[in-house]
Amino acid sequence: MRRTTLVTAVAAASALVLTACGGGDGGSASGDSGEITFWDTSGPNESPVFAKIAQDCATKGGYKVKTETVAFDQALNNYRTAAQGGQGPDVFRAEVAWVPQLAKLGYVVDLTGTELAGDTSDFLETPLGSTKFDGKTYGVPQVTDSLALFYNKKLLADAGVEPPKTWDEVKAAAAKLGGEKTIFINNDAYYALPFIYGAGGDLVDADAKKIVVNSAENVKALETAKGLLDAKAATTALDPANSYNNMQAAFTSGEVAMVVNGPWSVADYLKGAAFTDAANLGIAPVPGETAGEGSAPVGGHDYTIRQGTKAKDSSIKFVACMSGVESQVAVAKELGLLPTRKSAYENADVKANAVVSAFEPVVTSAHPRAWIPEGGQLFDPLKIAYADVLAGKKDAKTALDEVAKSYKDTVVPEYTVG
Amino acid sequence: MRRFLDRHWYAYAMVLPVVVVIAVLVLFPLAQGVFFTFTNINEGNIANPILDRPATYVSVGLDNYLNILSGDSSYGAFWGTLVRTLIWTFGCVFLHYTIGLGLALLLNREVRGRAVYRVLLILPWAVPAFISAFAWKYMFNAQYGIINQALRAVGLPDPVWLGQSDWALVAVMIVNTWLGVPFMMVALLGGLQSIPGDLYEAAEVDGASPWQRFRHVTLPGLQAVSSTVVLLGIIWTFNMFAIIYLVTGPNPNTRILVTYAFERFFSGASRDFAVASTYGVLILSVLLVFAGIYRRALRKQGEVW
Repeated sequence: MRRTTLVTAVAAASALVLTACGGGDGGSASGDSGEITFWDTSGPNESPVFAKIAQDCATKGGYKVKTETVAFDQALNNYRTAAQGGQGPDVFRAEVAWVPQLAKLGYVVDLTGTELAGDTSDFLETPLGSTKFDGKTYGVPQVTDSLALFYNKKLLADAGVEPPKTWDEVKAAAAKLGGEKTIFINNDAYYALPFIYGAGGDLVDADAKKIVVNSAENVKALETAKGLLDAKAATTALDPANSYNNMQAAFTSGEVAMVVNGPWSVADYLKGAAFTDAANLGIAPVPGETAGEGSAPVGGHDYTIRQGTKAKDSSIKFVACMSGVESQVAVAKELGLLPTRKSAYENADVKANAVVSAFEPVVTSAHPRAWIPEGGQLFDPLKIAYADVLAGKKDAKTALDEVAKSYKDTVVPEYTVG
Repeated sequence: MRRFLDRHWYAYAMVLPVVVVIAVLVLFPLAQGVFFTFTNINEGNIANPILDRPATYVSVGLDNYLNILSGDSSYGAFWGTLVRTLIWTFGCVFLHYTIGLGLALLLNREVRGRAVYRVLLILPWAVPAFISAFAWKYMFNAQYGIINQALRAVGLPDPVWLGQSDWALVAVMIVNTWLGVPFMMVALLGGLQSIPGDLYEAAEVDGASPWQRFRHVTLPGLQAVSSTVVLLGIIWTFNMFAIIYLVTGPNPNTRILVTYAFERFFSGASRDFAVASTYGVLILSVLLVFAGIYRRALRKQGEVW
């Protein structure tokens, strides 16, 4: 009896081991497994649409796609950890600033020489720039975006206010719009960029290899933002962890009249009480120091393929399909996200989309960011400094000097502070 | 030597597996971590066989230690962070212990519905830490959170709990206290129940007041349990990462040594394995020194464990 138990146990155990090995080896036998895992970093409103387009592409192309939704703020970290160990998705939707970094670390496939890098004349200049590193191509632009001023048309009309073109006009409008209810300022680094670019500043000068984050322009920019709060013309969530959600809540409920945000937020807004009538949502370029000088950063996402993928050929086919005109038109039509292909803007349905047509001039005039590997890492120190300034804990000059020091020490040591 | 091995080979053979396991699981990673602290290793120069890339990091001597110990803000402002870590650790453990002891004394009496109270008081412990963290984060929301709504309703000032000030540290200490009290309570309740009842009877016969009974019977009876759980609590709290990071994120006002090591290792400006490892070694050193002093202090009181 005892012996039979032992034999059974050994047999069962070895069966388990054998099947486990079999499962692991199955995929890698051929050159291309034909099964793609796609990491989608879009939000809950957008991901179903991307998942559906991905399935359609897979059906047409004769391969399998598994779409996994990954939280945007965790995605880069998770991807780097996974890719370092040879794991992770085959296709990754990377934010534009991540691409040069992933390319430098060797985590994404060099697409130069594949059909994806062949004819790129249809793509918009600035988003295409984000896919290049060291003269090679590492990604394909998916969507582009920028920040714009969203406003509640009814609140502004009732107060008799035109959408402001300068930050001074915002301040002036506050008297009519109910003071702090005028605009919500998100104290995140990315949302400091319209102030910074609008004042003529920048974070780094990549060509001259200089850190310019503590320039006089930037000090003025952050003082402008803080000035809006001091003049009781704006409100903010002083707890950074809650800032974005509070901004969305305040705007969708009609509590504040204006916010600065990107096209990805439109779906959220249209669900809110203040915008049951979609026509109430107004979109205008971000204000600047002087009228017409407002300037928002270029954002957006690119498709990249992971170095070490077992399905490279299928992945290339997949990315070509996902970034094709047809897919981009579908995304623009359903979500109001901005296509990266010029020809997609020609489509009648896309032209008719209010969000896309409102954002088109914003995107074409948007301020390009430095496409350097460290581009995405510039935000963490700035985020803390900007929150400190808005909370009144530090003055703009001190806070930005610390950011410059932190850039020099940990982000771009080879640059000079100037 | 030969004779020695002949006689004792069996003992060595028995010990060998343990030595190998400890070497592989504990000593090797530890030695590697210490080795990293003398290099400039980061994500860009580490060897990666999958990407077919050799290692290119170089030795930098004691630079990492010097940079960190200089207290430079680009390297986490070590001394300020250490002080904050100590405030956090001892503040939390003090609250854990006193509140836990108070609740344990209450629960050690014959009260109606004791089982229900006990279950309710253990509940915070049963909730996964990240769920508690997110729930508290909502409650601390300066504009919409229930805590500030309540404070406003009774006319008290409503601070920005999770903002750029020391209130953020107070907030995470409240969360951690809420989470840590049940463990202390259960451990101390166990200790209380192991004190023989006739000691109290004898004390009462001798005319000891309730305070004297607590002071001279309860506390000495609890000493063995207390010294262990306090040491454990200090080590856990010192290294408590999840609560701080999930509630406040990378906020310099709640930064303690381990959260900064994490920021340097995984997120933040760079995946700086070298600086993060150096922080790890420094954290280990602080805890070793502390545990040594603590043990010596206990041994002086005649406590051996």
